Formats: sequence, C-alpha cells, structure tokens
Amino acid sequence: MQISFLIHNAYGIGGTIRTTYNLANTLAEQHDVEVVSVFRHRDEPVFTPSSRVRVRHLVDIRKDSPGYDGDDPEFGRPASVFPRHEGRYEQYSALTDRRIAEHLASVDADVVVGTRPGLNVHLARETRRGPLRVGQEHLTLDTHATGLRRELRSVYPRLDALTTTTEADAHAYRDRMRLPGVRIEAMPNPVPAPGISPADGSAKWVVAAGRLAPVKRYDLLIKAFDKVRAERPDWRLRIYGGGKQKDKLRRLIDQLGLYNHVFLMGPANPIEPEWAKGSVAAVTSTFESFGMTIVEAMRCGLPVVSTDCPHGPGEIIDNGVDGRLVEVGNVEAISGGLLELINNDPLREQMAARALVDSERFDPARIAERYETLFGSLTARGGSGGLLHRARGSLLGGAFAVRDAGRTVFKSPRKGRTA
Amino acid sequence: MAPRADCIADSAGGLTFDVSDQGAPDPAHLVLMNRSSGEEVRLPLTPSGDGRLRASLPISVGLPEGRWDVYAQAAGDDPVRLMPGVNDLRSLVDRAPTGSRGYVAVRIPYVTKHGNLTVRSWFRAPHAEAGELLIAGGELTVRGRVYGTEFSAKACAEIRSRAATGPVLRGELTADGAEFALRIGYDELSEGRWDVWLRPEGEDGPQVRVARLLDDIADKKAIFAYPTERVAVGGRDLLAEPYYTVDNDLSVVMAPASP
Repeated sequence: MQISFLIHNAYGIGGTIRTTYNLANTLAEQHDVEVVSVFRHRDEPVFTPSSRVRVRHLVDIRKDSPGYDGDDPEFGRPASVFPRHEGRYEQYSALTDRRIAEHLASVDADVVVGTRPGLNVHLARETRRGPLRVGQEHLTLDTHATGLRRELRSVYPRLDALTTTTEADAHAYRDRMRLPGVRIEAMPNPVPAPGISPADGSAKWVVAAGRLAPVKRYDLLIKAFDKVRAERPDWRLRIYGGGKQKDKLRRLIDQLGLYNHVFLMGPANPIEPEWAKGSVAAVTSTFESFGMTIVEAMRCGLPVVSTDCPHGPGEIIDNGVDGRLVEVGNVEAISGGLLELINNDPLREQMAARALVDSERFDPARIAERYETLFGSLTARGGSGGLLHRARGSLLGGAFAVRDAGRTVFKSPRKGRTA
Repeated sequence: MAPRADCIADSAGGLTFDVSDQGAPDPAHLVLMNRSSGEEVRLPLTPSGDGRLRASLPISVGLPEGRWDVYAQAAGDDPVRLMPGVNDLRSLVDRAPTGSRGYVAVRIPYVTKHGNLTVRSWFRAPHAEAGELLIAGGELTVRGRVYGTEFSAKACAEIRSRAATGPVLRGELTADGAEFALRIGYDELSEGRWDVWLRPEGEDGPQVRVARLLDDIADKKAIFAYPTERVAVGGRDLLAEPYYTVDNDLSVVMAPASP
C-alpha cells in the first residue's frame, strides 16, 4: 500500500509531528510511506524519521534556501481553501492553497492521511479520485471554533474515515456531526517502547512533563507537592518543559519555600530518560485531548497520578490498577493520590508493573495494525473514491450545511446514532 | 548523517558510549577532545554485538576538569563529531559517593546548543558538595558534605569577594562528621559577587570550593534557582541571591535594589 501523510510542518517539534513519525515509521516497515510537509522552516527534521520514510515539503520558508517561497506574491495573499476559522489560518496563503491542491490532484498513493482540520478540508475537497481519504483529529471537536465546526460538517462527508485520539471524541463526532458514510474511529496516538530500561521504582522523584501552559495547572501540582513535602520531605518533584508560565511557577515555588524540592527543568528531548529518573508521574491538566505524556511515562514503568479530565486520561489509566485518577482542580486530591503511591512501596511497584504491560497497547506496531485494518476494510467496502460515493458524500454534506443555518434549537434526528 | 552515541552512566560515575556502527574499518576510537587545551583522551571502540560500537570511560580514567567534545575516529580518517542519542543518566541523579577515594570525579554528558555531544568533567580533591540551601531572615544557610578531607577544630568557611582587593569574610560553620552547615548573613556582604569556600583544616590546610556536582544536571544555574532577599547594607538596599556559576560553584550576588 502507498500511504501519503499531509502535515503542517514535519520539521518542527510537537505532539502531532512526533505521532505522525511514530506511525509513519512503523507503517513503512510494510508499506511505501511519504510525509508531505506543507511548510519547511529548517533543513533537517527535529525528529529523525526512519530511512524508509520519504519527507518532502510544498512551501519552503527557509530564508537562506534557493527554493525560498516567501517572495512569491501568492504567499502574501490570504488562503481561500484552508478554513478561515482554523487555528493556523494566518500561516496559510493563496500559495499553500495552490501547492496543496496540486499535490492532492496528482498524489501517487492508495491512502492520503490529513493531520489537522484545515488539511483534512483540503483532502476532502481536492484529492484526486482514487485514494482513500483519511482525516486525523489530533485535538477535539469541542476545541474547534463554531465556524470551523460548521465548515467541517459540510466538507468532512467527502472523507472516507475520520480518526480521533479518544473514544470520547469519536463519540462526539458521531453524535453531533452526522457525517454519513464516514467511518469514525478512535485511534490512540502511538508511543514506542523507550530505548532504555524501565524505572526501577527506587528513586524518590515525582516527574511531570509538558508545556508550562495554564491548561496543565502546574500551579496545582506545586501546591499539592507542598503537602507531599510536609509528610515526605525525602521526595522531590521535577517538571520538564518550557513555556510562558515559567516565571509565575518559579515565584510560586519560592513563595512556598519549595526551592529544594520542586525543580523546573526546562525542555528535554528525548524525554524517556527523564521519566526513568522518577518513580511516579503526575498530570494535573484541566484538559488533555489525548494524554501522550501519560502513555510515555507508563511505557517507562511509572504509574501516573492524573486528574480525570476530558478526554484522554480516563481512557488510558485503569484507575487503581495501573495508575490513579483524581478530581480535576483539587489540590487535596492530587496530593492524596501522590502520597498514596509514595507511602506504599508494594502498591507503587505493582502499579508500575501493570503500567508497563497495559501501555503496550499503544505500541506503534499495534496502532499501525489498527490503521491497516481500517484502510483494508475501507478498500473492501469500495469506498476509495467511487464516483457514487463521492457524489453522495458531497451532496449530503451540502444538504447538511444548508440545514445547519437554521439549526440551533432542534436536535438532529440522527442524534443517538453511534456507528 | 553524523553518527549518534547513546550514553549510559554507572553509579560510580563512569560512562559507556554506544555509537552507531558506520561500517568503518577497525581500529576505531572514541576521542574526547578538551575544548580549551586541545588535549585528547582516546578510548577504543569495540563491537558490542548489537551492531554498535562501544567505548567505556571508567571513573578511574583521568579526565581533567573542563568541557570535552566527543568524536568517533576510524583508523586513517578524520574524527567525526558525535550527535547525542539517548543519555541515560539515572544513576547520577542522587549520587552519593562514599568519599573513600579521596576525590570526587564527575562526568555529565550534555547536548550543546549546536546539538552536539559534549562531556562536562569535574575533578575535585577534596570536594565540598552543596545540598539544600535555606534562605530566611536575611540569612543563607548551606547544608552539605565534604569528600576527601575531614573537619578539624580549626575548620572555617570563607566568603571571598570577587573584587580584586575585596575582603575575605568568615561564615559561621558547624560540622558533624563529613556534613556541614554554613551560615552567611547577607548584611555582612557588600555589592558584588561572593564565592563560598571551606577551609576544613583551618587556614593552613586545603581550600575547598563549595560546589554542586553530584547529579545528572550539567548546568545547574538555570534549574537550581533561589529566592532573592532584600537586605539593607550600610544604608542601601541590596538584593541578595545565591546561584551556581558556569562551573557549578556556589556564589552569592549582591545587586542594587531598584528603588
């Protein structure tokens, strides 16, 4: 099978980029795989793809490159295909519109995979007849602007499949978007086994990792750790990641006199060796569209204490078995969860062992298999660009789009249908 | 593409490098090149059985203090700078040497800002390791432990001004076996930078710089950050802040407070 991924920027750092390479690298063991990056801002990708995966770009924004596209007049004109309400709209242009359209009109692949809503829109509207059109949702339906949701509802029926990272989000799409003929399936992010031995559980360190952003609520983690210190001053906390909240968190650490116990470590890549320095991982977010760090920590042999926030943590952690879910926003609950594992060595070790086993289901080989099954069943169904299917998809999409205009109060007659 | 090296630290502080095998003819060497002196330490790279080449840098092999850039070199070829792979440094995190060697040697591999692999080395004989710092009421208390020396009745602590003709002040030192606590009153320090030293055997004995070396963090300054205290010194308001230098030695900076 020839599989072609379309991604915003394959040369940078980020969850979607890492996830795409993890999946592409594994699929490339059996299939012909390319990753097409809309933008290229540096010579080499930060994450090194497998030598079997071809990586190329459509628009070159390296100022020192002979192929620099920034001087193209189209580069300065706004995009009209890439949706206006998409978070990355400002970076897209008439030039990206044209280059992406040209790419999709001639793409040599059996399956084309889009990796964000704006690119999925291109995919749905512009892929030549033939390849399967698979859109990936790495965020969630709820986090999209209303205008974007409306546009996706009108265009997504032309996809063959849409994948979400959680069952909860797949449910939201099935329930609220009514995408006839589109297979909607939860596909968790793949996380490879770390290239190091798992943590042995003896280090008296709690580890957290993620952007220092308000949604991560590291302020609550630091406050919770103040309570941990009162009971177990021999344990300490490392928070990996960079971000705008750094100074604020630094002040909180100083205010609470936690400067010998809580450390802001800065970004780390790769992160696996840092997880392996801890014995418990902590996640205190109010929202996680998936919860990749939870899986990463578990794969390194750490039980995770996480807030039970939407959407991912509750689908990853088996509460009380391989980790602990605690109430969102509750400092007492977070410190209670941490102390439960800190104070009980046998329980912690038992959960750590289960975390290792239970997280194997996120191995790229397993996730790639699920994608292969999905692609295979769609091909068997004859969904790969049959004229009838396309026509039906786009007509229904259009019909729904029209109906959406007058639909704010009435619930969909299809509500409750789950595929 | 440049070859990568995975690096594993053992609890004694030794390092093992696993380099992706480029199929170069034997013999190959891992070369550590001192960035300032140009001195070289060559370690044989031997096949490790998993298609990679391995070199070991046990703690007993001397590596003078400094930054050592890491290269691989096949016989007859130019050395090739190595990129970092996975640095597994977990055994360094809470390192607690016995002190029986009489010295402390520390090697921490890290990634340079250009993305290359370099090893930072320290060799201290004797050594004074800083642990927890406590800041309260205009005072700094440093808790720590010495290696390769013992406290005598004449033991003292020196807070040395970095200014050319600056004074040497005495800190208040209490020792318990190899462990110590050192108290510094900020109001005794004037504007400028101050370095923290121990004289475990008094003024006739060795001078030991207080430093923080025994973990996995090559550059402490950004991570071990401490609150700033406002103190009145000679009628002026100064901001006092302990910090680790680029060599991870403990110092205090006294800076003018903005009014």
